[in-house]
Amino acid sequence: MQIAVSGGKGGTGKSTVAVNLAIALKQLGTELTFADLDVEAPNDHLLLGVELANEEPVVQFMPRFDYSKCTKCRKCAEVCEEHAIITLKDGTPFLMPNLCSGCRACEIVCPVPGAILEGQRLIGHTYITPTPYGFTLVTGKLREGEERSMPLVVAAKKKALEVRKGLLFIDTAAGTGNTVSKAVEFSDLLIAVTEPTPLGIHDTELILELGKLMEMPTWVVINRADLGEKEKVYELAKKYGAEVVAEIPYSENIVKSYVEGKPIVLTNYPEAEIFEGLAERVLKFIGGGE
Amino acid sequence: MQIAIASGKGGVGKSTITASLLYFLKDEYKLIAVDADAEAPNLGLLLGVIEWEEEREHIGAKVARINTESCIRCGICMERCPYDSIYIDDEGNYVVNELTCEGCNVCGLVCPVPGTIALEEVRSGVVRKATTKYGFPIISAQLDVGRPESGKLVTEEKEWAKKIMEELNLEHMVVDSAAGIGCQVIASLGGADVAILIAEPTPASLSDVQRAYKVVQHFREPAYLIINKADINPGFTKLREWAEAEGIPILGEVPYDRAIPESMVMLKPVVEAFPESKAAKALREIAERIKGEIIG
Repeated sequence: MQIAVSGGKGGTGKSTVAVNLAIALKQLGTELTFADLDVEAPNDHLLLGVELANEEPVVQFMPRFDYSKCTKCRKCAEVCEEHAIITLKDGTPFLMPNLCSGCRACEIVCPVPGAILEGQRLIGHTYITPTPYGFTLVTGKLREGEERSMPLVVAAKKKALEVRKGLLFIDTAAGTGNTVSKAVEFSDLLIAVTEPTPLGIHDTELILELGKLMEMPTWVVINRADLGEKEKVYELAKKYGAEVVAEIPYSENIVKSYVEGKPIVLTNYPEAEIFEGLAERVLKFIGGGE
Repeated sequence: MQIAIASGKGGVGKSTITASLLYFLKDEYKLIAVDADAEAPNLGLLLGVIEWEEEREHIGAKVARINTESCIRCGICMERCPYDSIYIDDEGNYVVNELTCEGCNVCGLVCPVPGTIALEEVRSGVVRKATTKYGFPIISAQLDVGRPESGKLVTEEKEWAKKIMEELNLEHMVVDSAAGIGCQVIASLGGADVAILIAEPTPASLSDVQRAYKVVQHFREPAYLIINKADINPGFTKLREWAEAEGIPILGEVPYDRAIPESMVMLKPVVEAFPESKAAKALREIAERIKGEIIG
């Protein structure tokens, strides 16, 4: 089983919902592994109050040219979809490392064995962090200055699949580009966190579209439900065959617990019940109910 | 001058603050706004843009397609795809997941049957333009769901904006960048003269703004900081300490104010909707500092 929490717009409360829901699920006895695939801005460890541990480098292939063997045929440059290889007038190839995606297309087409050598570049890290909540957190973190987050999302997701125990529970980045699709891919359930402001509604439509394209059962959690027009979220959910499963009011307690790094579900505040209720619904879903 | 506004973390108030600053700058300067969050563009909405005057389709994303007729099901494409974007469907056909394909063409190059796998150009999204009711133009974009490389759309937005600046003799471009630190943000910051970072006093926002600042440093651009929701976490002093240690001038602090979400619902910058609110007052002071210290 795999469940992804996403939301289109940044700052709707994706990570808050993901973290609290994961803890609540564990408290109900569900074995799970939590993956933070927001590799450009990974924060779930901060919300869980843990320090990232067990760092492993993610390296990517990068061509190195052996100019003594290169015949200057330009095939490598022609095949590079990222235009990461430029050639001089005489055909000598040069790499612009920042544009290289590490796909190896250049190596595949190079007609001279050994003219393209294996080079490597560090693009980020993965972390496997034990948490005091009874589940492991897997985090992907892109190196600053790297443009391409896709290879890191792929690496972090692979790592999560390797170490997973029970349910794989995923928190994604904001947006609806292909790195979010990659994080969400193969989920049995997509939980979209939204807020009922016009901005939130605009972006919710996009994430619901993604759920539809991926043919995934999709739930909607309305955060800060008392700000704006939540009826519009209900209408939108209906249009996409998604179900609104929870409303979280704007709450000082949630803001307070968020800034203090104490998940609200562990407090005695009444808002904790919302996440417990949501966890029970998820449990029913996983159990084959509904 | 090109001013880029970035934060690393989403939801800290980048677009809200950008909209308000534009509102304060519009009378004195000839501006153009660029919403560089192509995956979740919101600046246009905050400036009350409902209809776009001009929209250009951006064809440029590439996805691989496999011809199931000629495919011999050898599986090499699936094995070699760097992004695990090829799978076998229920009928046993090898299929490319267009929502995760990066268009690198490795599958096409390794396929032993010529013509079976080809890259096809598809629409990656739209770039569009409007004139706001405040008189200045805005360029925005919308990436199609599941498409790669929103950074290319941002680059195109900025090119269009530069053309309009020449045509209309505009002086300043204000770029509202996306969350994160990837291609969209790099395209937003590239070529900027100055970066204004927005953060809130939480560990998550501090961590993300530090990452965004490292990207700013790559470009060797001077950076400034605005602290938003400054009073939500009184005990948290690390954000301020970090800025001081790095020598990043703090342009001001905006208090948490319910007037902000309420103004968002009204699709207006908070400084227009609630000019007497405490957030608006703080933003007015920040705008004055930007006029004095940055734009000059």
